[in-house]
Amino acid sequence: MTQKIAILIETKGARVKPAMLGVITAARAQDHVLYGLVADGAGENHRDTLARFGVEKTVNLWGGGAGQKPGEVAPDALARAVVQALDHFQIDIVFGLASTKGKDLLARVAALWDAPLALDCLSVDLDNDIITKTQYSGKTIATFRLSGARRVLGLRPKVFPAAAAPTSGEVLNWRSDVPAGPLEVLSVESGDPDDVALSEADIIIAGGRAMGNGENFQVLKACARALGGVVGASRVAVDSGWVPHTMQVGQTGTTVCPKLYIACGISGAVQHFAGMKTAEVIVAINQDPDAPLMQGCDYGIVGNLFEIVPLLTKALKAPSE
Amino acid sequence: MSIYVCVKHVPDSAATITIRDGRQIDETITFLLNPYDENAVEAAVRQKAQETDTEVVAVTLGKAGAENTLRSALAMGADRGLHILTAERQDSMVTARALAAAIRQDGVADIIFTGKAAIDSEGWETQYRLAAVLDLPVVSNVTELSREGQALTVVWEGDAGALQTLKVPLPCVIGASKALNRPRYPTLPDIIKARKKKIRTVDLAALDLGRPAGVLELLDLQPAVENRRAKILAGSPEVAVDELVRLLREEAKVI
Amino acid sequence: MAEKYDAIIIGAGVIGAPIAYELAKQGYKTLTVDKLSDAGLGSTAASCAIIRAHYSTEDGVAFAYEGFHYWMDWENYLGRVKDEKGLAKFMQTGSILLKSQGHDWRKVQKHYDAVGVQYEEWDLDQIKAAAPVYELDEFWPVRRPEDPSFFDDPAKKLEGALFCPEGGYMSDPALSAHNIMRAAEVHGAKFMFNAEVVDVRAADGRVAGITLKDGTQIDAPVVVNVAGPHSYKINQMAPGVWEGCNIKTKALRHEVMHCPSPEDYDYYNKGYHTSDGDIGCYYRPELGNQFLIGSEDPDCDPQEWVDPDEFYAGQGGTGRDNQLTEAQWKAQCYRLARRVPSLPIPNQPRGVVDLYDCSDDWIPIYDKSDLPGFYMAIGSSGNQYKNAPVAGAMMAQLIDACEKGLDHDAQPLQFKMKYLKRSLDMGFFSRKREINTDSSFSVNG
Repeated sequence: MTQKIAILIETKGARVKPAMLGVITAARAQDHVLYGLVADGAGENHRDTLARFGVEKTVNLWGGGAGQKPGEVAPDALARAVVQALDHFQIDIVFGLASTKGKDLLARVAALWDAPLALDCLSVDLDNDIITKTQYSGKTIATFRLSGARRVLGLRPKVFPAAAAPTSGEVLNWRSDVPAGPLEVLSVESGDPDDVALSEADIIIAGGRAMGNGENFQVLKACARALGGVVGASRVAVDSGWVPHTMQVGQTGTTVCPKLYIACGISGAVQHFAGMKTAEVIVAINQDPDAPLMQGCDYGIVGNLFEIVPLLTKALKAPSE
Repeated sequence: MSIYVCVKHVPDSAATITIRDGRQIDETITFLLNPYDENAVEAAVRQKAQETDTEVVAVTLGKAGAENTLRSALAMGADRGLHILTAERQDSMVTARALAAAIRQDGVADIIFTGKAAIDSEGWETQYRLAAVLDLPVVSNVTELSREGQALTVVWEGDAGALQTLKVPLPCVIGASKALNRPRYPTLPDIIKARKKKIRTVDLAALDLGRPAGVLELLDLQPAVENRRAKILAGSPEVAVDELVRLLREEAKVI
Repeated sequence: MAEKYDAIIIGAGVIGAPIAYELAKQGYKTLTVDKLSDAGLGSTAASCAIIRAHYSTEDGVAFAYEGFHYWMDWENYLGRVKDEKGLAKFMQTGSILLKSQGHDWRKVQKHYDAVGVQYEEWDLDQIKAAAPVYELDEFWPVRRPEDPSFFDDPAKKLEGALFCPEGGYMSDPALSAHNIMRAAEVHGAKFMFNAEVVDVRAADGRVAGITLKDGTQIDAPVVVNVAGPHSYKINQMAPGVWEGCNIKTKALRHEVMHCPSPEDYDYYNKGYHTSDGDIGCYYRPELGNQFLIGSEDPDCDPQEWVDPDEFYAGQGGTGRDNQLTEAQWKAQCYRLARRVPSLPIPNQPRGVVDLYDCSDDWIPIYDKSDLPGFYMAIGSSGNQYKNAPVAGAMMAQLIDACEKGLDHDAQPLQFKMKYLKRSLDMGFFSRKREINTDSSFSVNG
């Protein structure tokens, strides 16, 4: 029997999320038939994009009915609808994006199925049932084997490259008839993304001695917004009263492990470095080419942060792809 | 009310991780209460403050040293502890079943709090499996919570900024995020009181877990290597910045 | 080709920098070398930077009180130099020395009177008015929480305290070393970083210079060991030096904790540096409204002597490398919590781990050596940050006198203190001394 993989397709606004394309490519590499499960009722609109990357069947979970606002379905009903569709199409393997939303839905599916779950994978090899992911606050890479009739995998966003593999795609309107409840949606909204704790943040841009005063942190804040990250500070900035202690990164502040840490005007003394050294990628922006962080970073720009950071903000906002 | 809080004894996020034999870590480092579980304990204790005749029970599946973490939960306000003793690390499928079995054996839960993830296994899943085994509704990554009678009103965060407010009937399972509350740390008098609170121990082998339908088996553990080769980007500020953005997108893939 | 200087100072920490400063002011062409990338980044950066005068010997009290005058007049001491990184600040909280069995406070009071240290005697009401969150019971002797008697109820109260209004701490010890470096540079002192010393060369019976890891040779007739926790390694490089010391130094691992203050107490702005021998701790305000908790090395606490290179590389293994331990976190926080019962104690240890350069009797060695031209300012034992500017002046005086013919071993230099107008017999700091039994053998000095 042909092996199939279902991919939980996340959409944002009217489009398939760009990060999904890497997930689809990773699923495609396993040489199975791909089913893309779409929950916004607009499968017809997404079909071409999905087919371009190898998804042969796009499944409208709610039957392609108009007016089905994805946010208004409770997460438990959504998961049961997905499982119902998977059972109907006889699919035993699910791929998804390990976004916050994706992690919730994938875990619900795995729990309903009582199947092994690998979330936030860095690599996938279905032939051997092997995945890798981080453990211990990102300090180790663990290799796991999944065994069982069914598996659920969530892939870390941005890690898997996207590559087109065009196929003909058809839209299947599957009408889920799972009852609602027990969770009941009362309201839905977009909140303030600035409410991310420093210790949790995936992206941090931090300012040090060279910031000069508290108002200048607005420059970093603008860049943080463009990055979808939060602003941190070194001890000097806190010591000087420019920013509150809650923003301090370092041995006597908060230890962080973001994907990206941009240090602006921070020399990078041992005490600061200890607080952010497990960041996946470190960028240093400093006028002093001999600053310790300039040697301990992945990418560095020698220059005035008040010139560089606004340019960075502008470049990030420029449309990509 | 009967509230259970599932807590885990994990390595301090600041601790150095040394791998022994390719699969285990050196456990002589500092272990402590999983940070997200602090928020779970705080949430449970706050519920107790609002309702008389409420008991908060801290439950853990862990080796002998996990008692330390139960004591931390007790010092933060839990009334008693339940320690499912195991000699080895267990995966989430076993953990969820063990927690469910121990809780069911112990009493009838109105609310079960957990943290949204354990910082060591990074599985993000135990609360969902626990709910499935007990056939209870579950919401995780909860940032706000209040109770009216036999239901909770919770806010959970999907993607950055996407919030859903849900009504959740009791009994239920709630996964706490860091934003849910600010845990209050115990004072020495609290810690001293906690030393006298009761912890009941039950062997994992004595629980009837049934058989999970699959396994996630650890094959190998390697340190995540930190070899940074500082690439200093040359050229005018505009050129350097454009190159940086390109590298972050295409080489490092972090944005 | 070797470069030549009048004096090479090994170590640009808070003691090395003022030695360079004072020698430069005297006209010496100095070079200070440091293996790290900037001034004050070694053990100086981890110093609690406490400024207090209560020592167990009269000379110790005098030396420290002399130092106060430098910290309190910081800008002028630095010759009003501009430092692009700003200036370190003296936070004058005042110092409370609790009268306890942990300190021979009567001896301290005697020394205060002899030296002229400004102080007040406080009763319990006065202490409580100053620090309402302190419970003034006696908890002596100092114990560890693993010992069940740690939790015994106290049986009586403390007797009171000696309060020094002039005590406190420096806001940024690394910055203070950097400030002194900038001041020294005005007088021609040179500083070289990322420069690790691997050899001290001798010729014709005296020191000739140093060799760096990259092979660079630098010559000077005077070399000063101010290498902090690495001091014993430098001493062992110079022929005859290690053998000629009766007092040796070695590196002691130390943990300092940062614990949040009770929420209703603004310790950062209203709190006092406190020396609390009754619980074996000293504490002072730290950023983020925290208590910085240092240990007074009570007998019940194990001592960890380490190799500094292994330690800083984090390679010594658990307990020996630069990670806080849960056991010591609990020990120091629970001890403070006996004094401050409302102290909230986080589950996660937070603080700083670093090294003392410890001498056999916890009193420093400020001396020449058996190798003419080679001097040492070492063995600070966790208690010399406050004395750094004075030590700089004193070492410069010593070096100059010895180079001009003084037989310091036979006739120890009498160091004249600029502010106190007292004389200190430098034999007190001699490398050849017998272990000084008057010492407290702790960070108290």
